Amino acid sequence: MESIQYDVVIVGSGISGAVIAKTLTLAGKRVLILEAGLEAGIALEGEAAYNAYQNYLETFYKAPAKAPNSPYPDLKDAPSIDVLDIVKLQPGKTSTKGYLVQKGPLPFASDCVRGPGGTTLHWLGTTLRMLPNDFKMKSVYGQSIDWPISYDDLKPYYQMAELEIGVSGDVHDQNYPGITPDFFGQQYVFPMKKIPQSYLDAVISKKTNKLKVNLHGKTYQLSCISTPQGRNSVPDTDYPYSKIVWNNREKKLKIEHADPYSNLPSLWDPYTGERCEGNASCVPICPVQAKYNALKTLKKADQKNLNILTKAVVSKVIIDDKTQQVTGIAYKRYTNPGEPEHTTGLATAHVYVLAASAIENAKILLASDAANSSDQVGRNLMGHLVMLTWGLSKEKVYPYRGPGSTTNIPTFRDGDFRSEHAAWISPIDNWGWSWPVFSPGSDVSTAIANGLFGKALRTHINEVVTRQVLLHFEVEQTPDPDNRVTIDPEYVDPLGNYKPVINYNVGDYMLKAFEAAKIVSDQIFAANDLEDHTVYNPVTDPDYVVYKGQGYTFRGAGHIVGTHRMGFTKQDSVVNKEQRCWDHSNLFLAGCGNMPTLGTSNPTLTMTALAFSAAENILKQLEH
Amino acid sequence: MKTPTDHITLFTEISVWLTGFNEAELLATGMLDTYYQALQANSSQDDFSYFFKAVEIILHQNRNDIASTEKAIASMLMPVSAYNGIAGSIITMWYTGNWGNTVISGQAYIQGLVWDAAQTHPPGAKQPGFGSWNMPPL
Repeated sequence: MESIQYDVVIVGSGISGAVIAKTLTLAGKRVLILEAGLEAGIALEGEAAYNAYQNYLETFYKAPAKAPNSPYPDLKDAPSIDVLDIVKLQPGKTSTKGYLVQKGPLPFASDCVRGPGGTTLHWLGTTLRMLPNDFKMKSVYGQSIDWPISYDDLKPYYQMAELEIGVSGDVHDQNYPGITPDFFGQQYVFPMKKIPQSYLDAVISKKTNKLKVNLHGKTYQLSCISTPQGRNSVPDTDYPYSKIVWNNREKKLKIEHADPYSNLPSLWDPYTGERCEGNASCVPICPVQAKYNALKTLKKADQKNLNILTKAVVSKVIIDDKTQQVTGIAYKRYTNPGEPEHTTGLATAHVYVLAASAIENAKILLASDAANSSDQVGRNLMGHLVMLTWGLSKEKVYPYRGPGSTTNIPTFRDGDFRSEHAAWISPIDNWGWSWPVFSPGSDVSTAIANGLFGKALRTHINEVVTRQVLLHFEVEQTPDPDNRVTIDPEYVDPLGNYKPVINYNVGDYMLKAFEAAKIVSDQIFAANDLEDHTVYNPVTDPDYVVYKGQGYTFRGAGHIVGTHRMGFTKQDSVVNKEQRCWDHSNLFLAGCGNMPTLGTSNPTLTMTALAFSAAENILKQLEH
Repeated sequence: MKTPTDHITLFTEISVWLTGFNEAELLATGMLDTYYQALQANSSQDDFSYFFKAVEIILHQNRNDIASTEKAIASMLMPVSAYNGIAGSIITMWYTGNWGNTVISGQAYIQGLVWDAAQTHPPGAKQPGFGSWNMPPL
């Protein structure tokens, strides 16, 4: 392997790394991926892929808490951030319970998977584009900052992302505030027809769609629309594209028609996972791989141009003092992920890409004293803040069926209120009260504690669980330089690599959105005659906040964004709009860390669009 | 001294009373022996044998009388103070596949009856098929 001359070294095999590796190898470039996770998980076909995945599934079945990371290995030598490690922080106290060193005052509540395929293994699969105003928050609303690129700039890459992931959706349903009719483009359709919406969605939509709600003296009419998703349904024969190719003459990536679109089945069998089968476990694991994951993209790479080195944990980017060029990436390779013994290596190429997740990228750069002339590395850490409300419906709605969410209320994704408070999207959830109160297991234990048994117990469970409604208010967080990742020699993992130290808080702009969202939620509950069971517990909820005397609890959405943002100048940002570090011309950063703001879209689709754009810029640089 | 077979029979009978699922539904899970063994492994010998003695008496004395059987179960088996909460643990096993917070096996999770009671299926298994969630359950 030492003798191979690589064009590009990529750190991480999640969706950004996979998209860039696929695009570059198909354009004839030699690529090495350094992946911190285990070898078994990188299997891309046949029995090996099946067996690795079945191990995940069996681990999930046996996990007492079926948290997002529960199916996947947590390695001492390459630890993952896990929501189960989040604890309420005492003032001035630091939590070192998990991989993150949480300094607070609030704990950061999102997690990710550190291993082959990255967090696409446990993502829900929601694939919403960001809205035009999300890219210009400063100029339109006087809040946070503008992106150096616009929605229109990113639009062709969104199309590539939708092809790559395999989005199922109905374009006609996608009416968002603040968009013009050319948001998707004339006659655009998604690769596959929409995922059927749940019965629960239909019941709730009956009284919620077109409901007029009042907020701060203004009336808004709610709409309930189908959600585009990265999981397989029925291919749309009107969808024209099937391929993304590098056009070397024009120096551009092009989305092209080659063959009729065919959906991406499981890695191990072309006849498994062609359609969502309704396992209702998208997070943390789709048993049939009907849901997209990044390994499907890696499988489409030109394998003769691709090497993947697993068990290789990157510790440092090596920079030449004089030229400020990256000369290599130093990694530590463990044999046993539970033991500190390791060998060291240096991966070299012409161009380097960090695609190891927002927090990991920032950590590696800080450890390398790299890319940080702006002092922005690690800053502006953001996530979606999920405020849940839950109640019982008079009519049975039959939750715990279908994908996690198939319908959303987009009404508050954009509007003039954004000069006052944050926007949000409201997915209608299909999985009952499992998230806030661990139903239905908790319903069983409570019933038993109350002495219920036999037919009465069975009836009680039926009556309660089939009526559980959960609404979800996913609030955008704006960038704050004090919400940040740092490193500290006091906190290292067994390989001697830094653990991320997190300072995190939530400002009034978001708290005000919790207040507003709760006002809207109350009106939805009233219109649907839902019996409210929402409880925000000041003692036990780790992310409990108070605004104007009212308490709210938010949870993490698993969207980790903004630690090495792109910007207009070397002073305000870590990367330029080409996603190249201002400080090092042969170092690109990829992933949600590049995003200056986050809007109300689950960020994976935008990250994927950005990854295609980055791949194009890397190819331009290599072909220069 | 009861033989294990007698105890398994009693375990089946009392499980029907405790869970509200009939014998065919319980047997269909394939979990009977596993749960009986889990019960044995996780209970003290005293609790285990006194529990089955009580079960035998309840089922014998109230034969075919639903109301009096339920009354006896409620007062003699359901209190947490009775046999260290074995009755509740049996219900928990059948409904969730757990003993306390431990998942007995992957199969136990999949066979949890809470999902049947709620007219659905365990997340990640027994998938009902494309689009089924668009309609009320069968």
